[in-house]
Amino acid sequence: MNRALLPEMLHSTDMTVLERQRARFKWQQEQQQQQQQQSFFGDLSGVFQLQQQHQGFQGDLGEVVTRSVKPDPSLMDNGWSDLVGFGPCGYGNYNGSGFDVNCAISSTSSCPPAVVAPATNAKVLAEGREPVLSEKLNSGVARECLKKRKVDKVQNSTKVVAEDDSRGKRIKGCPEDGESKNTQKNNKSSSTSKNSNKENSAETSKDNSKVTEVQKPDYIHVRARRGQATDSHSLAERVRREKISERMKYLQDLVPGCNKITGKAGMLDEIINYVQSLQRQVEFLSMKLAAVNPRLDFNVDNLFAKEQAFPAWATNFPASGMSSDMTNRAYLQFNQVQQQQQQQLVTCCGLDVGINPPDMGLRRTISSPRSIPEMFLDSSCFTHIQPSSTWDADLQNLYNVAFEQGTIEASNLLKMEM
Amino acid sequence: MTSIYQINSATRIRFARRFLISLSRMRRASTLGPPSDEEIRTRTRRIRIVSYSSMAFAVGSSRAWSRALVLKIRNRARFRGILRNKCLASKKKRVIKRHKVSREMSKTDMLRRLVPGGAGMGICGLLEETAHYMTCLATQVKVMQSIADHYSK
Repeated sequence: MNRALLPEMLHSTDMTVLERQRARFKWQQEQQQQQQQQSFFGDLSGVFQLQQQHQGFQGDLGEVVTRSVKPDPSLMDNGWSDLVGFGPCGYGNYNGSGFDVNCAISSTSSCPPAVVAPATNAKVLAEGREPVLSEKLNSGVARECLKKRKVDKVQNSTKVVAEDDSRGKRIKGCPEDGESKNTQKNNKSSSTSKNSNKENSAETSKDNSKVTEVQKPDYIHVRARRGQATDSHSLAERVRREKISERMKYLQDLVPGCNKITGKAGMLDEIINYVQSLQRQVEFLSMKLAAVNPRLDFNVDNLFAKEQAFPAWATNFPASGMSSDMTNRAYLQFNQVQQQQQQQLVTCCGLDVGINPPDMGLRRTISSPRSIPEMFLDSSCFTHIQPSSTWDADLQNLYNVAFEQGTIEASNLLKMEM
Repeated sequence: MTSIYQINSATRIRFARRFLISLSRMRRASTLGPPSDEEIRTRTRRIRIVSYSSMAFAVGSSRAWSRALVLKIRNRARFRGILRNKCLASKKKRVIKRHKVSREMSKTDMLRRLVPGGAGMGICGLLEETAHYMTCLATQVKVMQSIADHYSK
């Protein structure tokens, strides 16, 4: 289809929305093919690598090309999800009138979800999204006809869009040479691509986009909301601001006593104070530990015994995951250690969560006799474990164990310590 | 998102273990009897470094701040000897530097200083790292507190 034909078709009011879209789509494909031949991928990958290394936001706000947020690692990235997507798409060289036409089409197509068949819509979306450009390319694009879309449509079409993404060629950006062409093409800036943008932005704002889960798209499209600037720069800034505010809210929960503070500056002050106070506390505690006289070597042996116990215990500690086998093994490991150390280790049994290894007859309880360093483990590490049973039962168990091992003196020693 | 920032109990255990091992090593090396002030000071410094390093190693390389901290500790260990020799030479420079007008530090700069590895990140990443770093510091404090309590009884 030629360029000349399409405007005519679009202008004709007889055509249904669907047909118009189909026509647009075909035309677009043509454009795209032309475009692809001219795209210089190498430049783009270079740009992207630069952007990859660049971890700051500062200058790059206009960065239109965005990276998608993958479920876990993405959130840890440094600013990858700073996204703005544009879907300039090769709608083609239209003159200004095309804008209005597009507007009309987009409004009709976007509002009633039922009108446009998802399939064709998706196709157009996919094609439309392809030339996602870097900021340079899109700075001049005027975004029109942005309307908020319903969530249903969002969820509906994102899946389809996602699938199409995999098929669609993703041109990560266009070379500077193609800029002029693209700006012209962007005149048509796709309502549908905007639809996809909005969908994606809604998705990302809700939870990590399904799109990203389906496959590995490299960018998330963001759509401007109603009544807001549609500039690429402002979109990127908005996304950035939202991310920052999200993080600040999380920090507000972390820092104690920050509920009433509103505003970034106050929050930052509190955060800085809190981190400084924590560091001071570490310093103070290290001084305290340095000043404390080491006790007898007894303790050091305790520590070492504990160290050896750790490999077994460390895996045991997620309370729910414990199995009697593991505890048995751990206990057997203890048996290999010296008697005295074993006594200490027996007290370590108190850390166990309460699984009864039948053969051993040792009821492991959570409340440990506070004689050994594991006490600190109790208080700090296993806050999810609640202290339980009676002291007597513990003592009884310890005596049993001691008896099993044949050293009653050790148990006496323990008793003394308690 | 919260799951990413939470510290596993495994991390806590790893930290506690490393910390205890190094503490016991230090105790073995130290002299018995009441330590002098100077000794306390050096020991304080060492214990502090040990606690930070064990935390960083326990967290591993999954966060940027732990990576930066690990690198710093390794470099410090490596260059300690070299730095001592250079210390005397740089005293002059230090005097000269004091006359410089100190730049007004913004809050984000201060935060960057506090969080290890914060210099190379944007604000977004910095806030994330700060959150994780804060939780790690809190567990560090708790564990050390309980150890100190135990030993002081």
